Amino acid sequence: MSDVVAVDTRARERFPLGVWGIAMLIATEAALFAMMVGSYFYLRFKNAQWPPAGTPEPKVVVPLVLLGVLMLTAFPMWKAASSATPRRWLLLALVVQSGYFAMEVSDFRDDLRHFTPQQHAYGSIYYTLLGADHGHVAVGLLLDAWLLWKLLFGMTEFRRKAIRAIALYWYAVIVLTIVVTLTVTSPAFAR
Amino acid sequence: MTSVAERVDRLERQWAERPGVLGWLTTTDHKRVGLLYFWTTLVFFGAGGVEALIMRSQLIQPNNDLVGPETFDQLFTVHGMTMIFWFIIPMTTGAFGNYLVPLMIGARDMAFPRMNALSFWIFLASGIFLYIGLFSGFGPDAGWFNYVPLADRLHDPSRNIEFYTLGLAFNSIASTLTAANLIVTILKLRAPGMSFNRMPLFCFAFLAASFGLIFALPSLSVDLIFLFLQRNLGFHFFDVAHGGSSFLWQHLFWFFGHPEVYILIVPAFGIATEIIPAFTRRKMIAFPLVAIAELLVVFIGFGVWAHHMFATGLPTTTLVFFAGATSMVVIPSTIQVFAWCMSIYAGRPKFKTPLLFIIGFIVMFVAGGLTGIMFLAIPFDQQTTDTYFVVAHFHYIIFGAAVFPIFGGMYYWFPKVTGKLYFERPGQISFWIIFAGTNLLFFPMHIVGLLGMPRRVYTYPGDMGWTSYNVIESIGGYITAVGILALFTNLVVSYFRGAPAGPDPWHGPTLEWSVPSPPPEYNFAVIPTVSSAYANWDADDRERDGHRLTAGVGTLERGHEQHVSSLIDGWTSEIVDMPHSSPWPIALALALSLLFAMLVITHYLFAAIFAVVIALTLLGWHGKEPQES
Amino acid sequence: MLGGSVVGLGLIVAILVAAWFKRGVEGADRPGTITVIALGIVTPILVLAALFAYSDIFLIRGTSPPAAAAATNDLDVRVIGHQFWWEVRYPGSGVVTANEIHIPVRTHVIVSVHSDDVIHSFWVPQLNRKIDVFPDQVNRVELYADKPGRYRGQCAEFCGLQHAHMGFYVFADPPAEFAKWLRAQARPAKRFNALFDDKCSSCHAIQGTPAHSHVGPDLTHVGSRTSLAALTIPNTPAHLAEWLRNPQQVKPGSLMPDLNLTSSQVRRLTRYLESLK
Repeated sequence: MSDVVAVDTRARERFPLGVWGIAMLIATEAALFAMMVGSYFYLRFKNAQWPPAGTPEPKVVVPLVLLGVLMLTAFPMWKAASSATPRRWLLLALVVQSGYFAMEVSDFRDDLRHFTPQQHAYGSIYYTLLGADHGHVAVGLLLDAWLLWKLLFGMTEFRRKAIRAIALYWYAVIVLTIVVTLTVTSPAFAR
Repeated sequence: MTSVAERVDRLERQWAERPGVLGWLTTTDHKRVGLLYFWTTLVFFGAGGVEALIMRSQLIQPNNDLVGPETFDQLFTVHGMTMIFWFIIPMTTGAFGNYLVPLMIGARDMAFPRMNALSFWIFLASGIFLYIGLFSGFGPDAGWFNYVPLADRLHDPSRNIEFYTLGLAFNSIASTLTAANLIVTILKLRAPGMSFNRMPLFCFAFLAASFGLIFALPSLSVDLIFLFLQRNLGFHFFDVAHGGSSFLWQHLFWFFGHPEVYILIVPAFGIATEIIPAFTRRKMIAFPLVAIAELLVVFIGFGVWAHHMFATGLPTTTLVFFAGATSMVVIPSTIQVFAWCMSIYAGRPKFKTPLLFIIGFIVMFVAGGLTGIMFLAIPFDQQTTDTYFVVAHFHYIIFGAAVFPIFGGMYYWFPKVTGKLYFERPGQISFWIIFAGTNLLFFPMHIVGLLGMPRRVYTYPGDMGWTSYNVIESIGGYITAVGILALFTNLVVSYFRGAPAGPDPWHGPTLEWSVPSPPPEYNFAVIPTVSSAYANWDADDRERDGHRLTAGVGTLERGHEQHVSSLIDGWTSEIVDMPHSSPWPIALALALSLLFAMLVITHYLFAAIFAVVIALTLLGWHGKEPQES
Repeated sequence: MLGGSVVGLGLIVAILVAAWFKRGVEGADRPGTITVIALGIVTPILVLAALFAYSDIFLIRGTSPPAAAAATNDLDVRVIGHQFWWEVRYPGSGVVTANEIHIPVRTHVIVSVHSDDVIHSFWVPQLNRKIDVFPDQVNRVELYADKPGRYRGQCAEFCGLQHAHMGFYVFADPPAEFAKWLRAQARPAKRFNALFDDKCSSCHAIQGTPAHSHVGPDLTHVGSRTSLAALTIPNTPAHLAEWLRNPQQVKPGSLMPDLNLTSSQVRRLTRYLESLK
């Protein structure tokens, strides 16, 4: 019953379909954030004072340090996708990413004490950008948790592909967070 | 030794759907999803048509009172939204794309079958959502482009604009899923030997349009999110009093809106580039130029958006840049127009109904394209924008370049989908009635626009000299409606009474004509091998497939198997097991509908609860894993 | 452009008609491809370049928004767009009117436009291009009438329920007549009417009386206007009375509320307003 079509040795099977799917998601979300970041700069250049009077300038050190921490989690995600013992790497990534997320939530609430999105376009775009970015981080945390739960029942080809797909998602979230963090801290740099 | 009949029987059993309504609700078969899209979009087409006819009946006389301004404003807004988002896009990508792309590339289904079904159920739910808004008196009423400040809370206080923002956001999820599915399918699921340059032009067109959707829709989504936040949570993006900008809405909208119009017509170009070879019995002239042009027109189309804003007072340098970019986007279209015309001229044309619709399409697209070119003269644009001249331009383009190929495609693929032949004479008559009607309807709009009649007006004074043109247009509208009814009556009667079609009544160039009509669930008993872009005309390859079927090579019968190939060259890279029949897509669409329903009545707590339900549904969706190979 | 378009469309139709007559003989690829390149790439590039150069480098100089009124013989007019009427101000003389602009003929008039609410568009087709009217910024358009006459303008950006009834007139008058008009408009009203003050002054102004609100059109010289409600109805006593009796019937969705006036009140107000010439 030789109904199998022989794999062509010239074809290098690089990415499973699931990874292509995540790539499509990343493409469309990237476009979404590109338009939001574009809107940030459009509004910025429409306003002589940015942030407006009475609103504190964005913090720089803490966000950049936290960003660095998030960037480091690319390593355990990469190891999870390529090693034979992914669970420990996923767990490490999840712990650090959760810590990052908790710090960001705390900073977010602290910012809200000083200015709100309802006051001015600066606040609106600031909180929308950060909120959307960290919404994607939160989804990433849930995906990590789902993977860890699935891996409790053993490794399969599907789960290996899923780790690769979710690692790709995380790389994209990290790049996104770099862009968003640099954007919202930019008023502190360009004076 | 297993016989062919036994192999086919095994495939039939593997791929059989659940019977009855349950089978349709849980289907993931791209052909069924395509048909669901087809019928649903026709219902919305009818709704959009009725909206148009009511408007034309209101405008047939000056100072008429058939409908008042509130109703009229909802009519023209919902007409535009319906025709673009609930007819053309889902009909081309959702119906034609889903049904035909896998067949044309030699695949058994789309890359993500459950996501395909999901996109349909979301699309259906979003349409129900919008029309609940319209029928409950809360139809969007600030135009399909919904400019702020008119659309902000102060000037449009009721729920109408929430139906706009949420309805479009909901719908755009469906289009994004379809686009993603089409891209991965076209790039990865092609038959062995179908390298990138051997893809049918239809696939190039759908690939281009899908990339357009992936990158353009997010701009609209950002606009909608910003407006929802501003109207409902007190955010400020567009109000200048708090540092916002009315221009921001327009930039974000048109950055989406211009690529959108290419997304509307490029799939229809794809339909035309299949009908022309079939009915001229020769290959398309300048195939590589046409393929590149289809991709280029969408790509360049991302750079021209502010030509919709020439009258807004943007700096002159900016306007000139955008006019320059707009002139560049004309070139891929002119390449294609002449390639089509020369192919018809150089071939042996059979002027049957599908080709008649394509010829009608070419004439109307050129007419609309010429008025489009006029707009790149900025001073001319600044006189004619926001008048009926523009309405004439885009209806010539949309009706001519999108709807005519859709009608032509319906006739062309009717035998494949139904297994019957349509009646030719009534088909041709329906074409001529529609062609006459649409020209009578839209041509006078050029003149009345040049005479100063603005758009989006529910009535007009009787002493402006506009009346007779409006009368002609309205009559043209009624004639068009008659023609469209004739078209569908013909198709329905043909479905019941038409002669059997067989697999290949036209000797078509592409692979869908190599399988029975209608195709079996599994499409191809043996995965075809391909060595040109006109695979069904390669008799040697098709004969070889017959031998392979007998020998059982490439029949992929062990489950719901699908062949995956390399990106550029179409070399076999793996065999995958596809999902088949699932309740999760409709369940997830239901959960999403409830989320959007809660948002439109601004019950955020319940919306959050349904978001959790959505997450749980996704968990269930990914619960069952595919079989290991 | 019309000529060029006719030629272009004609060419396409000619090819298709020729295909109809020619059918039967299959043609070769190469001449077809050459035609596609010649007609589909080269010719359009030339035509588009010419059109672009002529319109967007040369012609556009006459239609670009002007800088603020510079030379002393330019006239400066301010227009504020409202739902659904046009407020017109002459900064030099303090004149405020509505829905009617007078300009001297053969004079460069710089109209500065700004919106009080939503986006409108100021358009007098016979005199120049349209210019959108935003709340964000002041836009400008030049009006230059080389002949005296009455030119009709209208709002050209959908602005709500009565966008269809937001017209205005531009009267181009000989300079002496224009000056006379402007002087007359600058004079305050001679009479005060208590009923008007009671019912109407919360939204409408009449110079020379305590009524100073500019929510609605300034009515100081409403009797001299050609039409009412932004060209919705002609300015006759009968039409004015109908407007006062039931504005939401005449222009549903306009911001003038039904005041439930009695017939006698309508009569008295009509007489008063028509007297404000």
